[in-house]
Amino acid sequence: MVSFTKDQIADIIRKVGDGTSPEALESAVKNVLAKLQSEGLSAPASQGGKLDASSYPLGIKRKDLVKSATGLGLDDITIEKVIAGDIQFDDIKTRPETLAYQNEIAKSVNRPNLANNLARAGEMTRIPDARLLEMYNFLRPYRATKQEMISMAEELEEKYQAPACAKLVREAADVYEKNNRLKGDR
Amino acid sequence: MQKRQKRFEVLEQRAVNKDGFIKEWDEVGLVAMDSPYDPKPGLKIENGKVVEMDGIPCAEFDMIDTFIANHCIDVNVAAEAMAIDSLEFAKKLVDINVSGAEIKRLVPGLTPAKILDVLKKMNVVELMMAMQKLRCRKTPANQAHITNVKDTPALLAADAAEGSYRGFQELETTVGIARYAPMNAIALLIGGQVGCRGTLTQCAVEEAMELQMGMKGLTAYAETVSVYGTDQVFVDGDDTPWSKAFLASAYASRGIKMRFTSGTGSEVQMGYANKKSMLYLEIKCIMITKGAGVQGLQNGSISCIGVPGAVPGGIRAVLAENVATVLLDLEVASGNDQTFTHSPIRNTARMLMQFLPGTDYVFSGYSGVPNYDNMFAGSTHDSDDFDDMLVLQRDLQCDMALRPVTEEQIIAVRNKAARAMQAVFQEVGFPAITDEEVEAATYAHGSKDMPDRNQPEDLRAIEEFLKSGKTGLDIVRALHKHGFQDVAESVLGMLKQKVSGDYLHTSAIVDENFNVKSAINDRNDYMGPGTGYRLEGERWELLKNIPQAISPEDI
Repeated sequence: MVSFTKDQIADIIRKVGDGTSPEALESAVKNVLAKLQSEGLSAPASQGGKLDASSYPLGIKRKDLVKSATGLGLDDITIEKVIAGDIQFDDIKTRPETLAYQNEIAKSVNRPNLANNLARAGEMTRIPDARLLEMYNFLRPYRATKQEMISMAEELEEKYQAPACAKLVREAADVYEKNNRLKGDR
Repeated sequence: MQKRQKRFEVLEQRAVNKDGFIKEWDEVGLVAMDSPYDPKPGLKIENGKVVEMDGIPCAEFDMIDTFIANHCIDVNVAAEAMAIDSLEFAKKLVDINVSGAEIKRLVPGLTPAKILDVLKKMNVVELMMAMQKLRCRKTPANQAHITNVKDTPALLAADAAEGSYRGFQELETTVGIARYAPMNAIALLIGGQVGCRGTLTQCAVEEAMELQMGMKGLTAYAETVSVYGTDQVFVDGDDTPWSKAFLASAYASRGIKMRFTSGTGSEVQMGYANKKSMLYLEIKCIMITKGAGVQGLQNGSISCIGVPGAVPGGIRAVLAENVATVLLDLEVASGNDQTFTHSPIRNTARMLMQFLPGTDYVFSGYSGVPNYDNMFAGSTHDSDDFDDMLVLQRDLQCDMALRPVTEEQIIAVRNKAARAMQAVFQEVGFPAITDEEVEAATYAHGSKDMPDRNQPEDLRAIEEFLKSGKTGLDIVRALHKHGFQDVAESVLGMLKQKVSGDYLHTSAIVDENFNVKSAINDRNDYMGPGTGYRLEGERWELLKNIPQAISPEDI
């Protein structure tokens, strides 16, 4: 994932020099990054163009692109290293870039809905297991007020750079309000 | 009647007359696919947004309508698709000269009522033709249920090994006692890999628990994520389309394959069918699945099969719902996973609807154990029917993904799985599996042949296990330490699938060399005779040679 520090963003802002507050611009930059990311554009541009079905399965045809959450390649994950205790469970989790590649492949075979799901999934790799479970439970009917759902959307955007997930939650908040599925509606 | 007619006296005793049948009752939704209350197809789009769907203006949309309008309907193709006469559309589905890709380009532009209208024009043979052409993966596969009433682990592992050895690419377990879930998941993980590398395993329990086990690497996929066709039933199931869509992405974020579950009859059974036909409501479930971006769906009435089974045309509607699933370009695990009749004739006739055209999983739970051990309430066919299935494949030259086996082979894999399970129990701190249990599991017909375990002790150990933070990697280490290097490698191989994410794509299975086969690299290309999946060559040689067949040379 492309990431900028606050200082870098402030630097961008100074160069832009339009007098807007650093916070406002930071949020603007974040939104741009988030949008890029939700569209699967955050993947390193080194492959020269989008992936398609000819690269599938990635684990065989583009092994060079597949890395785990901690940067291990598939061939680095060996039984010997597992036995020696050199590989932990976090080493064999997927990472956002990989799901972004799969998102590109899904788009190339005309599966935009699956691609959207993979875009949200890529964002969720940054959310710890326990918090992710809580968030799911929170979206169940009658669990949250509209404001609580909006706060969760903000947390998704700000803490986890998860704009596609946040968008789904904001949409749910509106629908739950209209259909009386918020906390206290039962 | 003063005097009975003797034939009628005999008929009265037949199995089929123990089944329940009911006449159509539109007002409560007891109608398969043609209710006078079903909406008429129609779609209005303004500024790229759906403003009216099947006669309902968007101001009156319920949650499900909103989700379908926002996430499923493709407004770019809608005008073109909706303008096609339903009968013409139905003809395209069976026309071998119209490709599956062309049909799937148009279908996202259709509304639920329009899809219903198309399917209503088709008889069962035409629906089977459509399934043959439109299912996503070229090669059909199959799934088994592996459970037992005692939740006894050595037997679960042995049955899983037999199941995958016989050819089931997916194995599903559940529990008698809920807290057994992680132990049962581990039994399938290990047994599945002993029988055949690459087997996908799952443990169907409450949504949050199921996700947790996947996160720990104890399962490879999930399936029991239910969606419903009316708002009230959805909410009674304690979810909404948005919570389920969020959950779907949560699974994918951990590299875990997932499909939703739905089926005709569930809304009637739960009392809120809103006077609509079962198939109309089911089409809405399929569209929710599509809109959530889930790769596939288990449907074919599933646990509600008794409901469509009782009304006229119900089993045709069940096939139609499977077809609607592939029409929307989703993987289909096509039911046949619950007993619905006393009649063996009805049972098999119902199953032929999926077996003959081939689906992604002909059964979404063939009972790989005797039905008395099936904790999903029994399947249409069970382990006692294995030889019948092998003969049906041979008779019809038609593949349900099972293969002939010998008794020696099955004894060997069952024993190895039970011993591997014994080793893992010792390492991860579960109460020991005795040699007596290993022996019993190897030769058992079912749990009746198994000694009892100390259940409170098992459950305490499972609680400890969950607290300990142990994962699939601990299983790998345990297997390796006790001389099951090949099984350890296979379990690690399954964990590595989650890194690449290749099996998150539509209709993915993993073969014995850990190659993923999905609708992308094993795309169904059926366009009439000579195309698509054909049971021939090496595979046909294998299926011809059932052990019971005598060879002229031997006489």
